[in-house]
Amino acid sequence: MEVKIENTGTQTLVVLKGRLDTTTADKFMQDITPLMQGDNPDIEMDCAGLEYTSSQGLRMFLMLQKSVTSRKGNLVLKDMKPNVKEVFDITGFSNIIKIV
Amino acid sequence: MLNPKSKSFSTRLSLNVLLIVTILFVIVLGIVAVSSHMLISDEAKRSASNMLRATILDVEKTLQTVESTVKDASWLAKENDKDEKYLYHITRKVVEENSYIIGSAIAFDSCYFEGRHFFSPYSYEDAETGELKSKELGSETNDYFTQEWYTEPKNTGNPHWSEPYFDAGGGEQMMTTYSYPLKDSTGRIYAIITADISLDWLSEKVSAIHPYEHSQTILISAQGRFLTSGSEFNLAGESAIEVADTLFNGSLMEISRNMVAGDSGTMRFSTRRGLAFAVYAPLANGWSMSITCQYREVLERTSQMHLVLIIVGLLGLLIMFIICYRIIKKLTKPIKEFSVSALNIANGDFHTQLPEVKSKDEILTLRDSLAFMQQSLVTYLEQIETATSAKKRMETQLYIGQKIQEGMLPKNFPNDSRCALNAKVIPAKEVGGDLYDFTIYNNHLYFSVGDVSGKGVPAAFVMAITRVMCHLFADLGLPAKDVVTRINNSVAKNNEANMFVTLFVGCIDLETKKMEFCNAGHNPIIVIPPDGNPYYLKANPNMAVGVWGGFDYKGENLDLRHGTKLLLYTDGVTEAEKSDKEQFGEERLLQLASTPEFRNLNSDEMVSAVHNAVTDFASGNEQNDDITIFAITI
Repeated sequence: MEVKIENTGTQTLVVLKGRLDTTTADKFMQDITPLMQGDNPDIEMDCAGLEYTSSQGLRMFLMLQKSVTSRKGNLVLKDMKPNVKEVFDITGFSNIIKIV
Repeated sequence: MLNPKSKSFSTRLSLNVLLIVTILFVIVLGIVAVSSHMLISDEAKRSASNMLRATILDVEKTLQTVESTVKDASWLAKENDKDEKYLYHITRKVVEENSYIIGSAIAFDSCYFEGRHFFSPYSYEDAETGELKSKELGSETNDYFTQEWYTEPKNTGNPHWSEPYFDAGGGEQMMTTYSYPLKDSTGRIYAIITADISLDWLSEKVSAIHPYEHSQTILISAQGRFLTSGSEFNLAGESAIEVADTLFNGSLMEISRNMVAGDSGTMRFSTRRGLAFAVYAPLANGWSMSITCQYREVLERTSQMHLVLIIVGLLGLLIMFIICYRIIKKLTKPIKEFSVSALNIANGDFHTQLPEVKSKDEILTLRDSLAFMQQSLVTYLEQIETATSAKKRMETQLYIGQKIQEGMLPKNFPNDSRCALNAKVIPAKEVGGDLYDFTIYNNHLYFSVGDVSGKGVPAAFVMAITRVMCHLFADLGLPAKDVVTRINNSVAKNNEANMFVTLFVGCIDLETKKMEFCNAGHNPIIVIPPDGNPYYLKANPNMAVGVWGGFDYKGENLDLRHGTKLLLYTDGVTEAEKSDKEQFGEERLLQLASTPEFRNLNSDEMVSAVHNAVTDFASGNEQNDDITIFAITI
């Protein structure tokens, strides 16, 4: 699981690559911790490289969403693979996280 | 452990030092030996040369007295060359006058004196008695006209020293003769006046000169014949070159040739006794003298000196080795003791006494390191013991937790003719986040399956609450959507950890077979109608429980028939993985449910069949997530 974070000033671009499962969840949590603080809460995540996410991974997206909302920012997940999108849909997470 | 066969560190180090010092000692000794040999040899050659020069001067002086005696006598002979008696008197006077001269003759030309063929008054010391005698030298048997001492000055007109010869009919011994020509007013030579010198006497005089015991001093004539006898063999009269030739000694031959040529110099050559050198120089009369010295004798003193040097050196080396060994042994003693300490530590005695170190060097550092290691080992061991006991305690508690959780899930499936149920939870860790529940309330079968995000203890807590609430709210006879809504509101409150649960709750009227259900973000369940193809029940996903407090969950309805089977599961089934990350998947699950064999199974068998299929698929790959399988037949 690779997480590349790029700050463009007004927005933070994040590129995800790999599988988000039990073995990589803790590392992913560490990687996205910087995104949960600071005064630049607008985040755009490129999910084209995200192969899979477990329910533990979903919890982390949920935590990030809550953090961004509390700082009055926006979180957008882009180019999600259908199988990953399906997980978001089934659990109803598509209703609270913006997926385009 | 020290191998008893191997040498100790101190022995090896001492031997190495000894080896190096010995090599240096040998090199120094070699240099000293070579340079002292060169120095002593040069000195010996110089002193031999000086001695040679002095001896030559001495011999030349003696020869000059002989020559001047003869010259003086020649003047008298000229004046009285008709007086036979006086001529005899002159020869006697010559021998008497000069002690080196053993004989003297005045040999006249044929027919010069009173028409005599031979006329040669001769006086000599008798070789045996030493008495002075006189006689006529010439006779038929002793024809002096053919002898060298006569012919040479006669032909050249110059005084001449003859080659050594045995004077038969004269002095009867080995001698050399000085000849001086007498000339008349016209310059014609009419007589030769001579003086004989005994070679024995020359030998005696010359052989007295020897700088070393076995040194030899020799004198050779202008033609290269020995004028002195050797120390062992009497070589007087022999040719030096011929002698060297018979000895096959090239260097000696070269020395002889150089001497005959009138050169002076120094040359080394080999002898029966060993290597030797000769210094040689010519005399004024054409003779040549040499002194030979044996190197062995010359270098004898230095050899003794070297022997002393070697003995002293060896003693020094021995003393150095002993001292070196003692010092190194003393210095390395702590290392030996440390190895014992280290072995004790390795055997588990962390408190073993370390040897005392007084020096402030690497040994002290080693002691400090060992002491630190001891301390660290004790600390680490304590930490490990603490951690191990803590882990054991934790494992025990987790085991208890697991038992509690297992007990929490209903095992007594209802014995009801209208429905048959079976379910199974296989947690990935000791405790899990999956749950199922069922209850029959007022002819209504309530059933639920849920999956708490994450695993382990945190998930287990949420699972416990959720499962209890499922049961409580079902027993209130609430519709499925209201059960979910109430659970959601309860869980979402104070959900600091952002835990959530995907939950499916269904309620079947066992009389009418109508089902009312609510899906809160859970995987779609499989419906297997008695006479149709199995399918995934597409439902409004709503929202996972615990995410959004106050969410308005929507319920749905489905009419079932007698013989319909429902298969509920958690994502541990569909997301079970092989080693290459391939997942079991919804499609494979549906295919399994579609097989005719599967459709004939009862609920117990369905649960086992799905579990076996997933286990076979994963083929030993570690289970990542809790697995729950729940089968219902109505």
